[in-house]
Amino acid sequence: MSIRLNPNLLPDLLASIQQSKQNENVATLQLSSGRRVNQLSDDPAAAASIVGNHDQAGQDDRFLQNISTLQSKFQVADSTLSNVVTVLTRAISLGTEGANGTLNPGDRQAIAGEVQGLISQTLSLANATYQGAFIFAGTAVNTQPFTQTGSAVTYNGNNNSTSVELSTGVSIGGNLPGSQLFQNASGDIFGSLESLNTALLSGNNIGAAVSQVENALSTVSTQRVFYGNALNQINRSENFLSQDKINLSTQENALVGVDPAKAASDLVQAQIADQSVLSATARTLNLPTLLDFLK
Amino acid sequence: MGSLSASLNIALQSMLTEQGALQVTSNNIANVNTPGYSRQRPNIDETPPVQLGGLTFGTGVKLQSVSSLRDAILDLRVNQETQQQGQLESFISSGQQIQALFNETSGTGLQAPLTAFFSSLSQLAANPSDLNSRQAVITAGQNLASAFNQTSANLTTLQRNVDLSVTQSVSKINTLTAQIAAVNTQVAAATTGGQNPGPFVDQRQQLLNQLSSLVDVSEIDAGNGSLTITTSNGAPLVVAGQNFQLTTQPDATTGLQHIFSQGTDITAKITAGQLAGQLQIRDQEIASTKTSLDTLAAGIATSFNTQHQAGFDLNGAAGGNFFVPPPAGGVGAASSLTVAITDPSKIAASADGSAGDNANANALLALQNQPIAGGQTPLNFYSGVVFKIGNDVSAAQTNQQAGSLVLQQIQDLQGGVSGVDINEEASNLIRFQNAYQASAQVASVINSLLQTTINMVGP
Repeated sequence: MSIRLNPNLLPDLLASIQQSKQNENVATLQLSSGRRVNQLSDDPAAAASIVGNHDQAGQDDRFLQNISTLQSKFQVADSTLSNVVTVLTRAISLGTEGANGTLNPGDRQAIAGEVQGLISQTLSLANATYQGAFIFAGTAVNTQPFTQTGSAVTYNGNNNSTSVELSTGVSIGGNLPGSQLFQNASGDIFGSLESLNTALLSGNNIGAAVSQVENALSTVSTQRVFYGNALNQINRSENFLSQDKINLSTQENALVGVDPAKAASDLVQAQIADQSVLSATARTLNLPTLLDFLK
Repeated sequence: MGSLSASLNIALQSMLTEQGALQVTSNNIANVNTPGYSRQRPNIDETPPVQLGGLTFGTGVKLQSVSSLRDAILDLRVNQETQQQGQLESFISSGQQIQALFNETSGTGLQAPLTAFFSSLSQLAANPSDLNSRQAVITAGQNLASAFNQTSANLTTLQRNVDLSVTQSVSKINTLTAQIAAVNTQVAAATTGGQNPGPFVDQRQQLLNQLSSLVDVSEIDAGNGSLTITTSNGAPLVVAGQNFQLTTQPDATTGLQHIFSQGTDITAKITAGQLAGQLQIRDQEIASTKTSLDTLAAGIATSFNTQHQAGFDLNGAAGGNFFVPPPAGGVGAASSLTVAITDPSKIAASADGSAGDNANANALLALQNQPIAGGQTPLNFYSGVVFKIGNDVSAAQTNQQAGSLVLQQIQDLQGGVSGVDINEEASNLIRFQNAYQASAQVASVINSLLQTTINMVGP
């Protein structure tokens, strides 16, 4: 004799219906949300990894913003220095013109007047600002870095520079102190222009003064490379960060994203299973009993 | 020598017996859909024979008793699995509410405000003297603080709701134990009186099953069909006809309800049933998550303040507290996290006092990669919290699914023993009908024979 079966099949059938409905819901949710992990318990490890992934993506966004801030700041600094170079080139040609022995003192005075104009132009370039902060004041950005008293120009900034993170672990200098650019020991812009002015007024040592200005020009040109390099480095970092964001989004997709083809076929399978269970249930509930054959 | 009257008697007895059997069948069919009903069986015996003139004659049939078919071990197994299911189901239902607060895949949780806060510091480092960048740090700090406050408040609300369910479960348990005690008396009375206690046992099993979904139950046979019911740790619930109420009383420090049996606190000793699941959520899952958030908030606030004080603000003055210092020991740090400063110039981004220096801003930013929360970086610590919640719920779901299959199988076995099968009852119906009709026929024949005999001696 066989083991007596449970005559009441309904609980088992209902459990199967519930299970197939749940599979259907899961597949629908995955397909509509595009995510395999819709709550932490779906895949706790992936959900925890997503925290790091989103954080890294957030950091990349922030680095990209920093980069655009730095880019504008560096471009302002670079174009200011390019103007300084123009000024110095003009001063050299004025000096060469003034060194011509055929000029009378009146002509030289006129040239010296133009050199004085160049000095004040350089002064205003050296006091350039970006968003209200002096670019060439070291880190004392709220102090006007260069002031002129009589013929002497004084540096009021400091010699510090900042460091800014471009991407995780990669930092770049955020500024060059003005003292290094405009009053460098190997080529003092203000000092050399002032000497040129004095030489032109007196008519002596003009040649020496011109070569001082040439020194200053070559020094500032060398220093200016800093900004050119920095802009290049920024561009490289920008490329890296954009690529990293793509990688992160690929990683996110691998962690919690759903394979649409698989989710779609899961859904179809779940629907078929659901229909089969329902039809089996309907048939089972309508099965004739012995009573139907008793007349 | 047999007698006609004895035969008539046998036929009538038989009709009565089949009648009784038909009643049992009818009752079985009537209760085919009654939850907890165990099918009944008429126990039919032949009556003792008599010796008449050296011959042994059967004396017919008798309906000895009616008994219910059940397997006490299966009943017990069903109750045990029901306890596990109750615990896991209530754990999962509240656990899902907790994990919704930290659903990082859809962007709810603390990662976004944490990242935004450190991002604002990075922007400050890129442009340290800019007031907008400074204001952004304060705003991001306030957002972070309010995210901590909100999450902590949500956890507390959840905890209070679960606490309410604990009280409700206890009152349901008390109602059920009172009912079980009453039925227990009826079972004992029926057993002692030699009656079929089956219907009462059915009812008691139903009640016990409901009780099992609420709390861990241990059943001890007390003789006479009576059961002694205790929690698995021995706190009495029902002894014979008496039930022992559980009571609740709020804890002096936490304000959460503790459960008492006969004056003893048994809160930590409840191991299964919905009540255990609720306590597990309330006292472990939520409590540990809140503690983790406190550790994280206190770690961030404390180390941030320390580093902030090492720097100088926009005016060259030494930095103060950025966050209001968390309570000592960190308890409640998440719910009370607040940004202490409102003036953007007070942010100490500078390490040397000059307005354009960003060294301290860089140092503050570097805290994101330092072990400042429970020996881990803030983000790693938080990932751990997220993982634990997800994993606890996921493990409970796996156990629940496995357990529900086991329960289903045991219930199938139980149904195999106790369930009413219409086909079986229909065949019994025919059997008893045929037997009844045959006996009636016998009675009729005997009757006509008696008639013949009476006519023989007639006038």
